[in-house]
Amino acid sequence: MSEGFRLGIFYTIVRPEEKALLAAAEARGIPTARYDDGEVTFGLEPPADLPGVVINRSVSHTRSVYATRCFAHYGVPTVNAPDVVDLAGDKIRTSLRLAERGVPTPRTIVALSPEAARKAIDRIGFPAVLKPAIGSWGRLMAKVDDGPSADQVIEHKSALGAPIHSVFYVQEFVKKPGRDLRVFVIGDRAIAAMYRRSEDWRTNAARGAAAETAPLTPELSELSVRAADAVGGGALAVDLMESERGLLVHEVNPTPEFKVLAATTGVDIAGGIVDYAVGVGRR
Amino acid sequence: MTECPECAASVENSDKVLGEVFPCRDCGTELEVAATEPFSVQPAPREAEDWGE
Repeated sequence: MSEGFRLGIFYTIVRPEEKALLAAAEARGIPTARYDDGEVTFGLEPPADLPGVVINRSVSHTRSVYATRCFAHYGVPTVNAPDVVDLAGDKIRTSLRLAERGVPTPRTIVALSPEAARKAIDRIGFPAVLKPAIGSWGRLMAKVDDGPSADQVIEHKSALGAPIHSVFYVQEFVKKPGRDLRVFVIGDRAIAAMYRRSEDWRTNAARGAAAETAPLTPELSELSVRAADAVGGGALAVDLMESERGLLVHEVNPTPEFKVLAATTGVDIAGGIVDYAVGVGRR
Repeated sequence: MTECPECAASVENSDKVLGEVFPCRDCGTELEVAATEPFSVQPAPREAEDWGE
């Protein structure tokens, strides 16, 4: 490691993932610089003492988008890159990109008004799923089983006020076998996979889904790497569902949590991210 | 050692790092390490709408 090289961590809160990244850097003898996303400021001129690379761990999509742009402005690469953060943090743009690249994904219709949303849901058919374009952990997601419940969800979303809530991301409800898959991709390689099982139709680990190691079959690895590559590549978690049509990619997460995946599979994900980030910083 | 700002229960600094979030053992409030020397905590930031992975 060249003298003076530091690894930046841009974060909102320090969770087990961020602690693991700091520990992995320390274990490799790499000094770290911490940037609290609630405190840091960015001027137009590059500050002194910049790190060689920054791992973005902010849980805020908005802060991530602007901060990675600011670091790029200073010539500091980030993991993930600004375009990747921008795209993968937005489910609508991700769906468009996956479709453009031929990555199988659930049937999706975007509507830009409450009236159009009802038409979109009718076209998708019941049950349908409404998801917020930005944000995750399964929040503000709704499964609508019939017309009256669709109207209620549309009304409630519209009443939230912010313009983004009048953008409707409507997706088919995929009949999955009580589980979905999460695959962690770093660069051009899938390094770990797990099933997430839940009685709830939402199988997010944040909602308490149970985890179990999944075999990284050639098909699963290849599709996950294709999905990650479609959004620009980096250190990404690809979420997939098993359907009657085969594997479908439904999300690519640009700031993924990996505590459960690392504990379940025994794969050193934090070490993998740090090694990858150092490689990006040294390019 | 410090106090939970919600319930005044004792909170110990056992290997915690700056910014680390953890629940108060007594009241369950999510706390964030505000400083390590001397050790102090504050309520953790509230989850915002654009938070996620």
